[in-house]
Amino acid sequence: MSEHSAPAPKSADDPAFMLPASLAALRIPLCVGGLIVMLLGWYLANDIGSDGGNFGMSVYLTAAVYCMTIVLGCLFFVLIQHLVRAGWSIVVRRIAELVMVMVIPMGILFIPIIASLWSGDGILYRWDDAGYAAEHGLPQAVWAEKLRWLNQEWFTVRTIGYFAVWTMLALFFFKNSVRQDQTGEKAITDKMQYWSGPAVMLFSATTTFAAFDWVMSLAPMWFSTMFGVYLFAGSILGAHCLLAVASYVLQKKGAMRDEVTVEHYHDLGKLIFGFVFFWTYISFSQYLLIWYGNIPEETEWFYVRQLGTWGGVALVLIFFHWMLPFAGTMSRHVRRKPGLVCAWGAYLLVMHYLDVYFMIMPSAERGNAGGPMGVIASVLCVVGMVSLLTGLCLGLAQQNKVVAVRDPRLGESIAFENI
Amino acid sequence: MLRVSQEQETTGGSQTFYNCELMSENNEKKVHGVVAEYTSVDTLLAACRRVRDAGYEKTDAFTPFPVHGIDKALGIKPTVLPWIVLGAGVTGTATALVMQVWMNAYDYPYIISGKPFLSLPAFMPVAFELTVLFASFGAFFGMWALNGLPRFSNPVFTDPRFDRVTDDRFFLYIDSKDGQFDRGGVEKLLGDTETDYVQTVVDDDSSDKVPKPFFMIWGLVAALSVIPLLIVLKMRVSHSSQPRFHVFYDMDFSPSKDAQQYSTLFRDGRAMRPDVPGTVARGEMQADLDFMTGIDMNALSVIDRPRADRLVRSFNPLYQAEAESAQESKSQDVTQAEKADEGSDSDGDKSGADADKGDSDKPDAEADAKPSVMDTTPWLSSNPLVLDEKVLANGRKNFGIYCSVCHGMNGSGNGLVNVRAQKILAQSWIPPSSLHQETLYADKYPDGKLFSTISNGIRKMPGYSGQIKTRDRWAIVAYVRALQLSQNASIDQISEAQRETILSEQSEIQKALKEKADADAKAAQEKEEKEEKEEKEEKEEKEAKDSA
Repeated sequence: MSEHSAPAPKSADDPAFMLPASLAALRIPLCVGGLIVMLLGWYLANDIGSDGGNFGMSVYLTAAVYCMTIVLGCLFFVLIQHLVRAGWSIVVRRIAELVMVMVIPMGILFIPIIASLWSGDGILYRWDDAGYAAEHGLPQAVWAEKLRWLNQEWFTVRTIGYFAVWTMLALFFFKNSVRQDQTGEKAITDKMQYWSGPAVMLFSATTTFAAFDWVMSLAPMWFSTMFGVYLFAGSILGAHCLLAVASYVLQKKGAMRDEVTVEHYHDLGKLIFGFVFFWTYISFSQYLLIWYGNIPEETEWFYVRQLGTWGGVALVLIFFHWMLPFAGTMSRHVRRKPGLVCAWGAYLLVMHYLDVYFMIMPSAERGNAGGPMGVIASVLCVVGMVSLLTGLCLGLAQQNKVVAVRDPRLGESIAFENI
Repeated sequence: MLRVSQEQETTGGSQTFYNCELMSENNEKKVHGVVAEYTSVDTLLAACRRVRDAGYEKTDAFTPFPVHGIDKALGIKPTVLPWIVLGAGVTGTATALVMQVWMNAYDYPYIISGKPFLSLPAFMPVAFELTVLFASFGAFFGMWALNGLPRFSNPVFTDPRFDRVTDDRFFLYIDSKDGQFDRGGVEKLLGDTETDYVQTVVDDDSSDKVPKPFFMIWGLVAALSVIPLLIVLKMRVSHSSQPRFHVFYDMDFSPSKDAQQYSTLFRDGRAMRPDVPGTVARGEMQADLDFMTGIDMNALSVIDRPRADRLVRSFNPLYQAEAESAQESKSQDVTQAEKADEGSDSDGDKSGADADKGDSDKPDAEADAKPSVMDTTPWLSSNPLVLDEKVLANGRKNFGIYCSVCHGMNGSGNGLVNVRAQKILAQSWIPPSSLHQETLYADKYPDGKLFSTISNGIRKMPGYSGQIKTRDRWAIVAYVRALQLSQNASIDQISEAQRETILSEQSEIQKALKEKADADAKAAQEKEEKEEKEEKEEKEEKEAKDSA
């Protein structure tokens, strides 16, 4: 590498670094259309359940957690690149930076979920229902201990806390990176690398507990200490997939054509391949321990997910979230074709939604799978929310550059080659 | 560079203008190839491209660090190593799965943590590990094989100048094995590139003798490594008064519990665990009540409906669970000992059978009033097992273990326990029946009844249903029939082929018996004579003494 003198990057004002106009034009339609589709899906879902809006809220939570995992995955991507002083990723880092700022609209989108806690008993989270313990014959003493953690006030405070931490991290790294677009100071890079260590620690503590609160507590008596990692595994996989897809689309539309090369797709492909297996490793480890121990209080979660329709979904995840993409992204010949990397990324983003759906819906449905209409409503809701966030993200991208144009090591990143 | 071109001109295109002295010296040596030195990556890459374009294929470049694009510049095809790794990895997965499935589900089925014999999730960790292991081996040894390693020396090392390849110089090598290798042509081609050093690679003329100390060290290590083996071998063939040396103490003395031992782990203090109420042990699920009771249940339900119902209930694990829990709630304050008794009652086969036993215990008292239940029960008249050599061998084994201690190995009723009881004149001892009585033959004592007797006991004999599996009890029934037959068999029942061997064996045994009898008689006679003689001598001695 040292023998290649890094080519000088284009000037910061080059149109290759701007959001292409064809994409910028989509931002208003995406925002408005997305919002409508999302609300439509939510409305349809609310119509299905006969259980006081539980199904509708579950569908909404699924969409929100799906978007949240990808936003958090992008935040983690930025943190980890700074932490290890990665040079190769600078050309795609800005995309992740733009996505991670979406944690702010996500905070607003989470308001209905918190509101459901305050507006009624057990609409979404069943532990919120005062009669839950008696209904399920739970020992009073145990339940009282549970409620010390799972109660409206403390849950709300925690959720606000998570968003506060993530917003702080996202804004810190985004603002500094954008400031570097103007000044090109090396000191900014140093500062971001310096703070990335504590930031990663804060990040992992908050995401783990967020996973426990938002998803795991849907089955209040069930617990798995690795659940946070399980959700995170899908999250970071989704982030890499999104980067591959976004880079490909941006290049097709004319931005950063000379900057993101086949080498970067190759690396993203490797990371996708690796994290496909990481996801499998984590989810299987969680299953294996519980399956082997075979204790009723632990098997509850998998019990509903291994029978009937959900058993089928579990098999689909095994074959299409692991085996197929694992075999498909194994070869370097695939990973060195940007179109194929983008296709696998898009495919896995769909699979990741199925994974989140598999985590949330069986707990939440109360025996009501919703039928085809329920699936349509779920898809509408998530497509709407993703479109809304994409629109907002495009708006942010339009006001900024799509590449960190004055990063001191941009040239190194452009010249990056896999051995 | 300048020097080279000047020389080239002055020597007028001679092909051996470099290191002429060396060349003449080396003329007789084997030529391995030609190497050229470069000072930068760019000059090296340019030379590589020229060599590639000239059509050479057996080439190699040596650099102090990895250089991007050099494989392309040299025209090296992509390696097949990934395919080797993939193949090895798949082999690893397959090996692990086949091994575990075969071992755990077929060769040695063993219940682990109550999981099915073939439980895929449990096999996954091993499959994962073996995949990684095999893939790593594939990568490591595949790389060696593809690179022709291990190779302890390479002719290019003969040139001291080549040492700088690990520092700041780059080398390009063309092998003489290349199809179009021609020393002059190659040297000219390399000379035309931006190099100022081209050298022919010849055989290493340094000594190929291995230094003596190496042999000494190898010899020493080899000798030392034999010592443990010798110690082991010596211990295999010699005796010692020292206690045995335990390398793995806990493997020689496993902390696991033996049968009938006490354990603090469980409330009832038993290390042996009874079946969990409401469950059936694996392989013991028998839906066939005829098979389990020895009674034709259809016929019984016509004759004695309540008893049939009772039997159905007692053999159904669900009813048993109910009974147990009822019992438990009833006897919460009963002492431990009593509880254990009750437990063994309800475990031991099976309440319906108790009734049978009770009836059979008092046959005489009521015999006149009405016929015994034992006689009215519609017993199965034939063994439900398919009788073959294996079943009979199993019956023989179990008869030997459980029955022979009282009934004797041949069933004549004179087992070791009986011998002992007779010897000490045990008061309450009831001698076990000989199995060779006509009342116990199949026509008078049906197979089903015999099975029921083994299961539930009779008189002093306890029931064995708790100890012997149902299938094995039927095998014992079959073996008892064989024993009975053996006492009354005529030679006509033997097939032609075997008759001769039997007859010859018979005559041999008779001969041996006769010899033994003769020898005994002779010995007795001799003894008598000897005693007589001794007596006589004694008499004589006495007489002599008296006379003295």
